[in-house]
Amino acid sequence: MLCPVCHQDALIVEYQNIELDYCPACHGVWFDAGELELLMGSAGVEDFQRYLEGIVRAPEVETTEKKHKCPACNHKMKKTYIDRDNKILVDVCHVGDGIWFDGGEVQNLIKELVEKSPEKGASQGVLAFVGEMFKHQTD
Amino acid sequence: MWEQIRSNQVRSVFLIALIAGLLLAVGYFLGLYFFDSAVGGLVIALIVWAIMSLVAYFQGDSILLGMAKAKKITPDDAPRLYNVVEEMKIASGLEKVPDVYIIDDPALNAFATGRDPSRASVAITSGLLQKLTRDELQGVIGHEIAHIKNRDVLLMAITAVMLGTIVILSWYASRFLLFGAMTGSGRRSSSRSGGGGAQAIVLIVGLVLMILAPIMAQLIYYAISRKREYLADASSALYTRYPEGLASALEKIGGSKQQLKSANQATAPMYIINPLHKEGMKAADLTSTHPPISERVRILRAMTGGASFANYNDAYRKVHSGKQVIIPKTAAAGIGAIGIRQASLAAPGELGLASEKASDKAASTHEVSDLMLRLNKYRTVDCECGARWKIPPGFKDNDVLCTRCGRRIRL
Repeated sequence: MLCPVCHQDALIVEYQNIELDYCPACHGVWFDAGELELLMGSAGVEDFQRYLEGIVRAPEVETTEKKHKCPACNHKMKKTYIDRDNKILVDVCHVGDGIWFDGGEVQNLIKELVEKSPEKGASQGVLAFVGEMFKHQTD
Repeated sequence: MWEQIRSNQVRSVFLIALIAGLLLAVGYFLGLYFFDSAVGGLVIALIVWAIMSLVAYFQGDSILLGMAKAKKITPDDAPRLYNVVEEMKIASGLEKVPDVYIIDDPALNAFATGRDPSRASVAITSGLLQKLTRDELQGVIGHEIAHIKNRDVLLMAITAVMLGTIVILSWYASRFLLFGAMTGSGRRSSSRSGGGGAQAIVLIVGLVLMILAPIMAQLIYYAISRKREYLADASSALYTRYPEGLASALEKIGGSKQQLKSANQATAPMYIINPLHKEGMKAADLTSTHPPISERVRILRAMTGGASFANYNDAYRKVHSGKQVIIPKTAAAGIGAIGIRQASLAAPGELGLASEKASDKAASTHEVSDLMLRLNKYRTVDCECGARWKIPPGFKDNDVLCTRCGRRIRL
């Protein structure tokens, strides 16, 4: 997969049979819809489609951040908050191909997880997984 | 008995003759306009057609596979898929195992191409390979092999080339006509200022033809391709002796909303289902390349008595509640009673694990994506913490930082 920000080949990391695409240059992370479904499936979430639709239909957030194109379908993604506190702004594909976390958002996410005890929420498992996978960005 | 299927091709030959007639008519009027000689136009049409046919005959399959971005695989890459192809080759009586290609695309589709049964290929998307059970995969491969066996692939190539020629000729002719009309200095009008009335009629007939010919040719093309799909479905049921396999595969394919990225109008009829389907589009109209999926599934599911062509005909009649038959009696009669076999127990993926457990599902999902990564020359390194890194071929560094545990892994 090409990184939607740097347009270079991303690395792929697999852990517990879930694959994420990770750009070593900008530290962004792509969470593909198929992998989201697998993660939710192993966490026992039944209605994955409803969860995905919830994110895709979430209101667009006005921001100065540059828009990116979905690495799967190449259409512009929309910016939306994925957590309950509206701190983590992600790019979501309009047709639900997946979610892109900018490098900075991954950092925010890790900070959030460290500062707060995990709250209950549909995205919690997703955020925890990404946070766990990318907590060591530097040596 | 297999060659009797060709009696079904009488209609196809008629339709092809119709397209050829259109091609010649376009050439005829083209000649009248631009060279004052109908023969000249006919010669040009035939030359363009001959060149395109030669290219299609010798390079057509590689061009199509290249356009679809298909990658050729060996038996070691995907043993289960290869095994199914070999099985269907034997069941169909094809003389040679076709080349097997995978298209790296999450959409669900498959197609066959090639000039004759000894030089043919089947291609399947990675998404389809991932989603289908062994029985379903067998049904789909059986359908594609049937296209090769029934020589549909060459037939479709011939018609596609003629359609292409008509489109190209009409396009250029209409552009030249418009251009000529605007500048108002046509050779034709000055050299033949006498016979105004007859000339006007020729002009109008020609113009109408230029506009209608591409559309008509396309409709004929679609009519040919629709008919072929039923025969391929019936053949698949016969080869696999298990109509339910193809039926449930078609259901899975039809339920998916993803469009194939590398398909276009000209290549659409080749696929097992129309890759350009849109939501809300009426499936059963003149412009559809395939019969509606729901109907194909209903016919296959209605085959309760057995898996022969006669059973398919019965099922077709049941679904359509008419006297029509889809496969000619002579072809159907040549085959005795064929029983339907039992379902085999296997889940999707190369391993075919008969389990619905989430972890097994995840494991089998990545089999196909790992296969695609191997074909794309990715390297794989395991970190001690349990993470597995897959490195693209263009990666220059000598080590990679495992972001999960902070270790540096040497490549």
